[in-house]
Amino acid sequence: MQPFVDVSKHTSNRTVFRYLIPFGIIAFCVLAYFLSTQFDRVPPILKRGMQPSDFPQLIIGLIIILSVWLIFRDNDKTPKRMTKVVHLTMGLLVGFLIIADIDLFLGLGLFATMLTILWGERRAWAIILVGLFVPFSVFFLFDSIFEVRFPRGLLTNIWYG
Amino acid sequence: MDALLNGLFALADPYLLMLLFAATLGGVLVGALPGLNATTGVALLLPFTITMEPIPAIAILTAIYCAATFAGAITAILINTPGTSASATTCLDGYPLAQRGEAGRALGMAAVSSTIGGIISVVCLMAAAPLLARAAYNFAPPEYFALTVFGLSMLATIGDGSPVKNIISGAFGILVATVGIDLLTSVERFTFGLNELSEGIPFVPVMIGVFGISELLVQADNLHVERKQVVMKSIRLPNMNDYRKVWKTILRSSGIGTFIGILPAEGATVASMIGYNEAKRWSKTPEEFGHGSLEGIAGSEAANNSATGGAMVPTLALGIPGSPTAAVILAGLMVHGLRPGPTMFTDQADFAYAIFWSMLLVNILFFFIGLWGAKIFARVTFVPIQILWPIVFIFSIVGAYALEQSMMDVWIAVGSGILGFYMRRYGFSVVPMAIGLILGGMLETRLGQSMVMLDEKWWLMLNRPLSLFFFVLTILALFGPPVWDRIIKYRLKRKVAGK
Repeated sequence: MQPFVDVSKHTSNRTVFRYLIPFGIIAFCVLAYFLSTQFDRVPPILKRGMQPSDFPQLIIGLIIILSVWLIFRDNDKTPKRMTKVVHLTMGLLVGFLIIADIDLFLGLGLFATMLTILWGERRAWAIILVGLFVPFSVFFLFDSIFEVRFPRGLLTNIWYG
Repeated sequence: MDALLNGLFALADPYLLMLLFAATLGGVLVGALPGLNATTGVALLLPFTITMEPIPAIAILTAIYCAATFAGAITAILINTPGTSASATTCLDGYPLAQRGEAGRALGMAAVSSTIGGIISVVCLMAAAPLLARAAYNFAPPEYFALTVFGLSMLATIGDGSPVKNIISGAFGILVATVGIDLLTSVERFTFGLNELSEGIPFVPVMIGVFGISELLVQADNLHVERKQVVMKSIRLPNMNDYRKVWKTILRSSGIGTFIGILPAEGATVASMIGYNEAKRWSKTPEEFGHGSLEGIAGSEAANNSATGGAMVPTLALGIPGSPTAAVILAGLMVHGLRPGPTMFTDQADFAYAIFWSMLLVNILFFFIGLWGAKIFARVTFVPIQILWPIVFIFSIVGAYALEQSMMDVWIAVGSGILGFYMRRYGFSVVPMAIGLILGGMLETRLGQSMVMLDEKWWLMLNRPLSLFFFVLTILALFGPPVWDRIIKYRLKRKVAGK
């Protein structure tokens, strides 16, 4: 098991990392602060101690202060370059979300098949197990025992009629 | 006393006993499987418990927690890879022992120490949680707010990342918790007109994403890592001579682990490190540490398993999670409509004690399952990750969907997974974010209630002794470690200059 924060693979190049991350967070906070100014305000009798925007703005302020601190004091190094497999796995995740819109289990089956092949599995039984057997078993387990109704789609319509 | 007995009688249900046995077995598997740990296991199992009654649902989550924490030692000893981060120190002595052909002895010591540590901590939980709840019963919103702030400040020390990054991550979790309709004023916040977001970002898909799917991406980056297993000839329990050598260490580490577990947010990992260091400091043979010391294994394992019971004390008595896994269990309690906090021991005392007894039983169960099944579990560590992780993904997605039967939750799980991966990559632990998300709503509500109570003069919170006490603890938790570090460095510098 990897620790939750893995700092073991860091290299020495840190300039981009040192500034890009804190400034990225600050930009996100500025946007969130702007959005929070658009919240409706309630009359004093209804506000129960705080306006709806007060608490989010307090937290945004805290994040900005800490991000400024990171710019000056952070000594962490840039992580090593991600492998091609990670990029492709992320691409598969995006592909899964698109196909899941057509049919959740079609998306799951295709994702599992592609992932196992991408990660180096070549044995037919293993590919069939993760791409076909497991998604089907999980579908019937949840549908029959847990009574979960899955979204209608290309494959699930065959079962639901 | 009635509640104590009622809780025990609840365990007489054969269905519950069967579930506990299966969950313990599952927990040991989770702890032994590459990349999975107690937090991920509990997060993945949580959606499956939704249709259950609260007692079996929470009992099996705690069973996974206890058993997976122990099982991390199996991989630590046999393949020099801690199954969970809490077993990292077990590698130091467990693997050298295994290399000398004494894997069974090492595993035996890990099982005995974990069981004793776990039992001691559950006994402490049974005694301390109701007392703590009684003490907290008269807390008003300002005290609760200050306590929650203190709990969140402890996030700074989670993991091995930067404290500032941990707090940013926790604050981000709190910010995410503000999405949806504000319960006090009914004003929509950060919903972008989407109805699905009006009830806020749900905990469970986020947990599944940050603990499960982000780990899938981490595993994708580690495909090249080879694991070599040491051959285990037989399981041999420690003999009387070994026990005589380690009993003090087990008791000391159990005390340390329980105490560390009780501290908000500090979990088994910190406990095992301190337990190991203290075992070495008090040992008559410290030179053996790192080369196969049984005391080292006992110190680490008793501490990490006793932290599980300790972590449940603030979780149940105050509603503040004592560890990352306890945070997911807290989410589970909320999903089941239970209200952790002082009232749990008056309104739902039978439930609380049933959970305590089930934890006690699980600590005994995993001793037998862990020892008898160690050879099999050792093989489990070699399940190819290219088969394991696609299956984990399928269960993650279906689990995220099943809770509300909403595709939006699937999007949230995958989005949280990708975000969690990048956070981990750039040194931001995902644990504070998850805890911030769970506690964010509570924090805002209590701040709002305090403002009403104190006539919108927040500084009056400092006039209340208990609030002030928790705020002082917060300052100590945030600034104590760096100031102490500087003092030590300054002293060292002066010492060197003096020479």
